[in-house]
Amino acid sequence: MSRATDGERLAHKVLVVGIGNPVRGDDAIGAAVAKALAGRLPDNVAIRTRAGDMLALIDDWDGFDALICIDAAVPMGTPGRIHRIDPKDEPLPRDPVYASSHAFGVAEAIGLGQALNSAPRNIVVFAIEGASFERGAPMTPEVAAAIDEVADRVVAEVAQLMPREEAALVDA
Amino acid sequence: MATKSIKVDYLARVEGEGALDLHIKDGQVTAAQLRIFEPPRFFEAFLRGRSYAETPDIVARICGICPIAYQMSAVHAIEQAFGVTVDGQLRALRRLIYCGEWIESHGLHVVMLHAPDFLGFHDAIQMAGDHAEIVQGGLALKKAGNELLRVLGGREIHPINVKAGGFYRLPTRAEMAPVAEDLKRARDIAVDLVRWVAKLPFPDYERDYEFVALRHPDEYPFNEGRLVSNRGIDVDISEFDDEFEERHVEHSTALHSVVKRRGPYLVGPLARYALNYELLPQSVKDLAAEIGLGPVCKNPFQSIIVRALEVLFACEEALRIIDDYDPSQPASVPFETRAGVGYGCTEAPRGICWHRYELADDGSIVSARIVPPTSQNQPSIEADLAAVASTMLNETDDRIRHRCEQSIRNYDPCISCSVHFLNLTIHRS
Repeated sequence: MSRATDGERLAHKVLVVGIGNPVRGDDAIGAAVAKALAGRLPDNVAIRTRAGDMLALIDDWDGFDALICIDAAVPMGTPGRIHRIDPKDEPLPRDPVYASSHAFGVAEAIGLGQALNSAPRNIVVFAIEGASFERGAPMTPEVAAAIDEVADRVVAEVAQLMPREEAALVDA
Repeated sequence: MATKSIKVDYLARVEGEGALDLHIKDGQVTAAQLRIFEPPRFFEAFLRGRSYAETPDIVARICGICPIAYQMSAVHAIEQAFGVTVDGQLRALRRLIYCGEWIESHGLHVVMLHAPDFLGFHDAIQMAGDHAEIVQGGLALKKAGNELLRVLGGREIHPINVKAGGFYRLPTRAEMAPVAEDLKRARDIAVDLVRWVAKLPFPDYERDYEFVALRHPDEYPFNEGRLVSNRGIDVDISEFDDEFEERHVEHSTALHSVVKRRGPYLVGPLARYALNYELLPQSVKDLAAEIGLGPVCKNPFQSIIVRALEVLFACEEALRIIDDYDPSQPASVPFETRAGVGYGCTEAPRGICWHRYELADDGSIVSARIVPPTSQNQPSIEADLAAVASTMLNETDDRIRHRCEQSIRNYDPCISCSVHFLNLTIHRS
């Protein structure tokens, strides 16, 4: 992966958000990756977790110029498979369940932020295919096995986004 | 014989899993059913045997957007059973935290969920293209309400600082100050929002509802009052069962509530407003007059205006309470547990939320009963659907479907909250 050289792509403050309910099976992958990233990113990268209403992301990303989300995806046949989605290139899948009065999903929050020109200019979503989202269940082994690889890819993504001198701190 | 059915298999922009079936035969609507298929959640059974002290935190989980309603109705009921009175500043702070809930819940519904219906947008994201300032205002209202919940409730979703007798901890003045600044901005946003929603195109439709709400002699109701209606009901909250009854219906996992002697009734903003208009601050009444809204509104589509007015009221009420705030006072009042029965009824954003608890000597719960607002409104929603659809039978199915969905969203229904009953027996005839 080559470093972004276009000035528009460079980010000085990056927000990494692990998304999902940590006690619902494979939905825990977001929080697990956030935990695995502790100490591996430069100081100007914030790591957070979020569950429930994703409209909160609109406040979370205020002041950041890049956003990296890690979230579980609905089963598509290969549990643990990692998809990297850049919403500029392809739309994020939207779940009608989230179009409710109580919770907006990641796609809705990002879509709204883009419509209001408040979203960070760089957004990457890592979606990891899940197998089970049962309440109270642990992650399935296939999804748990993806934690390290997703964390490595987030570290690499941050390195690519940041100016050379700031990214040099990565994995220092 | 012309028979047709219009179905909406999954309702968007409402909470929980519901669907709509409309049956039309020979130019008449023969059935309009809001089908609720969200699984029952058994909260009343979870509560049995648990301590009174756990109750506010358990019932908060019934709803992610109106946890305060459940917490408040629960603590009032428990305090009544124990013979405790919470007054003075603590009573005011309970109104304050309720203001936060109304602001975030109404703000979200008015702007993000309901307004797109009137303007032909698919959702708030699409609406943001033409009405960015309004959408940003809605987000700011939600944030201001959430911040009040966080500071006074400990966190914005499922707050943890509410207990029987008061609060676990009171915020410092420094913690409260930025909330007041947010609320001042929210108040200005609410004024603009009222003027904006008042200009939306409203269907010409009214229904002669039986409005039911709390009424208190001195204040627009949140936590306390008698249960009243515009058709003569005026009872203590403990007499709920004398006037109302919950019924099983086959198409819903939520119970339907009706006035025993008459049938469907309406709870929520339109009912509160009609039964308590004179108790609103003059500034809110003046704004209502400016936009041409009288003291009673029977057009359910205009509930969006009343919600916006209630946001303004909640901002003003919150600022008034914060202005008088003295953090040096105690966070709670002491009490002893005792066996007894207690009732609580408070005004959730969607309408009255009624609780009854029987408690043992040690404060453990013997039985619990919770009647949430959406189950009370369900028969009224169906009556609206039948009436609204019958005025437009010559229009396309898509137009009828859209208007019916909009009619359901007039109620801001929370299906997840309404689904809670214990008896799973379905009687078929």
